[in-house]
Amino acid sequence: MNKSNFLNKMSIRWVVAFKEEAKVILDYYKMLLVNEKTLYPIYKNVEETHWLTLSGIGRHNSAAATSYLYKISHAPKWTSWINIGIAGSGKGDYGDICLVDKIFNQNSNITYPITMPKSNLPKMSLVTTDTPITDYFSKELIDMEGSAFFDIASKLTSKEFICIMKIISDGPLDDIKQLTKLKITQLVTSNLSKISEVVSYYENLSENENQIIAKPDIFYKISSNWHFSVTQLYQLENLIRRLDVFCGNDDIMKLIKQCKNSSFVINALNSKIENNKVDWSDV
Amino acid sequence: MIETIYIEKKIKNHPRTKFILNKFKKSRLLEIDKYAEIFNKRNQNFRIQKANPNLILAHKNNSFVLPTPEGFGIGSSENFYFSHMFNCIYDCRYCFLQGMFSSANYVIFVNFEDFDTSIKNVINKNINSKITFFSGYDCDSLALENVTGFAKHILRLFQHYPEVDIEFRTKSIQKEPFISIEPMKNVIMAYSLMPDLMSSALDNKVPSISKRIKVISDLALRGWKIGLRFDPLIHGEDWKFLYENLLEKVYNSIPLESIHSVSVGPLRFPKKMFKDIFKLYPKEPLFTGPLSTNKDIISYNTKIEEEMSFFCKNLTLKYIDNSQFFRCYA
Repeated sequence: MNKSNFLNKMSIRWVVAFKEEAKVILDYYKMLLVNEKTLYPIYKNVEETHWLTLSGIGRHNSAAATSYLYKISHAPKWTSWINIGIAGSGKGDYGDICLVDKIFNQNSNITYPITMPKSNLPKMSLVTTDTPITDYFSKELIDMEGSAFFDIASKLTSKEFICIMKIISDGPLDDIKQLTKLKITQLVTSNLSKISEVVSYYENLSENENQIIAKPDIFYKISSNWHFSVTQLYQLENLIRRLDVFCGNDDIMKLIKQCKNSSFVINALNSKIENNKVDWSDV
Repeated sequence: MIETIYIEKKIKNHPRTKFILNKFKKSRLLEIDKYAEIFNKRNQNFRIQKANPNLILAHKNNSFVLPTPEGFGIGSSENFYFSHMFNCIYDCRYCFLQGMFSSANYVIFVNFEDFDTSIKNVINKNINSKITFFSGYDCDSLALENVTGFAKHILRLFQHYPEVDIEFRTKSIQKEPFISIEPMKNVIMAYSLMPDLMSSALDNKVPSISKRIKVISDLALRGWKIGLRFDPLIHGEDWKFLYENLLEKVYNSIPLESIHSVSVGPLRFPKKMFKDIFKLYPKEPLFTGPLSTNKDIISYNTKIEEEMSFFCKNLTLKYIDNSQFFRCYA
């Protein structure tokens, strides 16, 4: 994907353990299997805004699949990362969906995901274990992937862009042995509207971040017309970002069209900034 | 509405913790070991958090009272500051907090009594000096007073030290506890102000300038000493006209004898801090002004700084004595 394809696009990456959990999401977001031999199955939509990988069970798989998806999908900085799946619970009710705001793993490490603000979904703590457990006592949520997903995703983006959603599938009154593939898919289906509402928040978050981070178009135009050193490119980017707030692209180009080299360009743009008086009545 | 409150285990039963939690009955409570687990983690986005900050209740272990940076003061030989809180409910685009902390969550330290002890120690060590303490360096000193009660608490301490000044620097229109107690001669109620037009663009979620002036006037009439802080000075189209209007309005709204001091300060950011803030808000009009780098500081150039300071000083000296006017550089 080249740089211009990123413009105005949100970016969502899903890490899901099982096909049964992912099925409804793949349909809803119109993602199809990528026809290449990949380490983990990879799905994406036509616009390449949503990508999903099936990690399989366990922390190692979840961590590896998250890294793999990052690399293979060229996930940009403004990507929102979502992990969704079923979980055991000693406190919630079968079929309830919740956001995770505290994660314990078996090494006693504790992390604190930042949850979607102003959401009506309940928030719960998650224990990620390496082996399936049915001792639900006092545990809000139990899974086998969440902590690893969060650890890796938080190296790829800032924590506000990471979301873990769990749907309660088993507990003291709901025997895990009764859980079937069909039931898992039904659990996700019955929560699809809530899931899409949460995802919509992360889509907006990602799109807004893209608009803030993305370099103005004119930066690419100028940097291709003159030869800039790395330091100059950094200066140019800063100057263009500042000028872009109060100056049209045509005005910027007029300023520099006579410049013989990159130093003259930087000086001309700098001079424009140095003489700018912000009109606060216009802000 | 605070969605989540993180509480350090150590202070979960502290009476002040319970007092504060009582005000947020619908919030989700999460116990943590240390506030740094949440607050100091890297890979956080200050701008996004600022839209919906959470609250952290914590115990401060050290550094309760610190000397102010060089160039920060209003005439005393020894200047110190303390912060019972990190971060602020306001969202001012020139604020250094947005470049200093990686998190926009509010941290409230509930062990006020340890601040008392440190303040007393500093006073005792500087017994022969004129000391001023500044409350609200890493936060606004009064904006969350209805939650923390810190000003009310610390005022009781300073009642015992009438020779030691304390300044509450704020943009809030919070009048309690000051309208419920007798004015204290060693307390300076210091208000940050800038022309309305600039404040509307830069002081997000902050009471308007006219509301602030009204509160200043009310407190002045009750007998409290007032500090006026035109800090930072913001440049732009018609800045002279805008500052002249503001200064005239302020000086004509409050009894001049209530003015303890007036200070002006330039807009300045350490280079690294500016870089971080600019990354967060690259489309911010403030940063399209004539800012340049000088000795690792980003600021308006010296000519602009001098012209603005000189202009405000000249206008101010029509109303107060030169000894009450200060220029801050930090």
